[in-house]
Amino acid sequence: MLFATLEHILTHISFSTISIVITIHLITLLVRELRGLRDSSEKGMIATFFSITGFLVSRWVSSGHFPLSNLYESLIFLSWTLYILHTIPKIQNSKNDLSTITTPSTILTQGFATSGLLTEMHQSTILVPALQSQWLMMHVSMMLLSYATLLCGSLLSAALLIIRFRNSFDFFSLKKNVFLKTFFFSEIEYLYAKRSALKNTSFPVFPNYYKYQLTERLDSWSYRVISLGFTLLTVGILCGAVWANEAWGSYWNWDPKETWAFITWTIFAIYLHSRTNPNWKGTNSALVASIGFLIIWICYFGINLLGIGLHSYGSFTLPSK
Amino acid sequence: MPSPTSYLLLNPSKPSSFRWLSAPAPRLHARRFHVSCDAPRGSSGRSGGGRREAIPAGASKAKKQIVFFDAAPPVSQEGGAAVEKAGGEKPTTKVGSGGNAALALLRRATKRTLAVLSNLPLAISEMFAIAALMALGTVIDQGEAPSYYFEKFPEDNPVFGFITWRWILTPGFDHMFSSPVFLGLLALLATSLMACTYTTQLPMVKVARRWSFTHSGERIRKQEFADSLPRASVQDLGVILMGAGYEVFTKGPSLYAFKGLAGRYAPIGVHLAMLFIMAGATLSATGSFKGSVDVPQGLNFVIGDVMKPRGVLSVAPDVFNTEVHVNRFYMEYYDSGEVSQFYSDLSLFNLDGKEVMRKTIKVNDPLRYGGITIYQTDWGFSALQVKKNGEGPFNLAMAPLKLNGDKKLFGTFLPLEDVDSSNPNVKGISMLARDLQSIVLYDQEGKFVGVRRPSSKLPIEINGNEILIEDAIGSTGLDLKTDPGVPIVYAGFGALMLTTCISYLSHSQIWALQDGSTVVVGGKTNRAKLEFSEEMNRLLDKVPELISADENVFDTKSTAT
Repeated sequence: MLFATLEHILTHISFSTISIVITIHLITLLVRELRGLRDSSEKGMIATFFSITGFLVSRWVSSGHFPLSNLYESLIFLSWTLYILHTIPKIQNSKNDLSTITTPSTILTQGFATSGLLTEMHQSTILVPALQSQWLMMHVSMMLLSYATLLCGSLLSAALLIIRFRNSFDFFSLKKNVFLKTFFFSEIEYLYAKRSALKNTSFPVFPNYYKYQLTERLDSWSYRVISLGFTLLTVGILCGAVWANEAWGSYWNWDPKETWAFITWTIFAIYLHSRTNPNWKGTNSALVASIGFLIIWICYFGINLLGIGLHSYGSFTLPSK
Repeated sequence: MPSPTSYLLLNPSKPSSFRWLSAPAPRLHARRFHVSCDAPRGSSGRSGGGRREAIPAGASKAKKQIVFFDAAPPVSQEGGAAVEKAGGEKPTTKVGSGGNAALALLRRATKRTLAVLSNLPLAISEMFAIAALMALGTVIDQGEAPSYYFEKFPEDNPVFGFITWRWILTPGFDHMFSSPVFLGLLALLATSLMACTYTTQLPMVKVARRWSFTHSGERIRKQEFADSLPRASVQDLGVILMGAGYEVFTKGPSLYAFKGLAGRYAPIGVHLAMLFIMAGATLSATGSFKGSVDVPQGLNFVIGDVMKPRGVLSVAPDVFNTEVHVNRFYMEYYDSGEVSQFYSDLSLFNLDGKEVMRKTIKVNDPLRYGGITIYQTDWGFSALQVKKNGEGPFNLAMAPLKLNGDKKLFGTFLPLEDVDSSNPNVKGISMLARDLQSIVLYDQEGKFVGVRRPSSKLPIEINGNEILIEDAIGSTGLDLKTDPGVPIVYAGFGALMLTTCISYLSHSQIWALQDGSTVVVGGKTNRAKLEFSEEMNRLLDKVPELISADENVFDTKSTAT
């Protein structure tokens, strides 16, 4: 009971802080020169991180197993991972545009997890026999880490595409779909323009040059982030295969979830290969990565939603059953 | 907003970026892709494969990059792989004039095939096709009877207006992952992998291995990253680079340094590991045995009786004559009543009746003996031991009653009248159970009477009969397999994990030249481009500025004037 209350408090703290953070982001987008607000949004992110970590730890202690046994816990873990991604470049003190991707992503996953949709799943559940293994921690955490990393990388690629082809978009007709994305991306663009302007104040400012530089940076960053995610995905899938050989009797069963993880892997392998061709680098590889973004969601969410195959643990239970 | 011309000028990759969608020129792309191995093709060959990413403006002019390997012997002397990419037809004609025309033809054909197979657009379209087929395989229900597809994809009312069962059954998409189309594509991808490794990656290693100096400041300045340090010494730079983890070589005024060479090799490892996995999987598919068996507690079976060969290469090992005895099958439960784990206590006996192994297996903890793996996968309710009015015990066989859903339900019947053909409507007591823990009893009229646990030893009175449930006998569902492919696949897994991790490393190369008192530095890297230039700027800031005697003189002079 104590743990349940604690978890309840922590999720609400994290959700409210992250809402404030996103509001600050919106304000800084509109009112551009508020340095102090931006710093406070960083503090907000740190507070969120601690409450999510606290939530996961208390879940672990109270349930006695690694808190990754259902969709709710995995979503919380996903937003935690997004936060880690947000922090790593900060520690290395290298500037990059990841935070504009990670912050809104964190709020979206967090918001979805805490929303009413999954309430019946909020209680930690017992572990079915097939999940009682040390591999649970290794496999599931690796998969979620890789999903988070690949999502960030493919969002960066999508940003690149949108910035490059912005003029050809008709924003009024696409307003609803693109609004969210444009919001993040114009923010990145603005940030970058500001940074460059500070660097080269003496030079005349060509907007196109910045656009070019920005897309190059985005391209380079998304490549690095996706490479990292691809490595994690490989490790995650292989851990899963070894586990399957212990639990299900074969290292590969063509289970829908497995198959989609493999499709994701293939798509990002295509991305990495398309980059070896200098003509395809940039737009075409970014297009592949953006396809990958959809594929990850099908793999992570769609398959569990359908509840098919061997991987249907701790997901929605459709009322018809 | 920018004018179109300036946009194109500043964004050189744009005009060509959509070419692959119309894809009319695959050979050109292929050549471009074979980055460094085509370096010796001519004296003006490119080393960087036209990498222009880090050069923002006017980059299209700098397409031709310098080859640093010119001074060294050409790669083509070292092996056929580079020759056929670089030298084109030349070596082939030589062989042809040597006399054996048929052999030359064969060689030429091989080279043509290799060139086609290692073509990047082909490999990418193979991967896309495989991904699409896999997706299709999860959309179409797999492994159903043909009548299912006749019904679901009827000819008179096709799905999407054209998909009938013929589309599904003719290419074998009802069993996608073993259909010839899918397996054929995988095989094609495997050959592409091999061809690419042979024609592209291996020559690239030979080039990358050779560290080389350059004596031309012009070449260094044309690198992706280039800078010049006035009043610096190349030796100081070398020490700083060494401190940053670079391997540094110096010769006179020249310096060459590199880091992360493993990152250049690792992709080869990735390809080889993929081939290993594919080979292992093929062996698994052709050389394994599988079987599953449902054994009541206390009974035996011989392994060989339940195993069925899966492919043409399946050879039965000697241990197939081993007999397995199920000593005990039991489940553990959570407080809430749900199953927490299944256990089967198994003993293995050889032909002489000697126990060779004993282990309690559970889900996630199989038994392995002589290449055979026994998994705990299922369970059933085999029989109920019941005493009626102190008589017995009788063993009542339990029958699985599958109503709906995943939950199991078993039932049995204890007749209270004589059973013979003259009386078809025998009345008796019905017993139902969801698991081995509790049995629900119903009387002759079908009315609920009570629930008893086998462990409680508490009798129940039904229609004047005293029923005592002595024991519930479970049966364990075991899966057995032998798989000779597993060691190979696991070796591939290990190699793949390791090499993909190493592939994240970036291979960075730095050249420097002492040009008077100035040091010209240039460098390039294959992956982390932004980090590389940041790192270089940081390192170059550390290089001490030399103030030598004559320069002091020069300085005072210049200030004086």
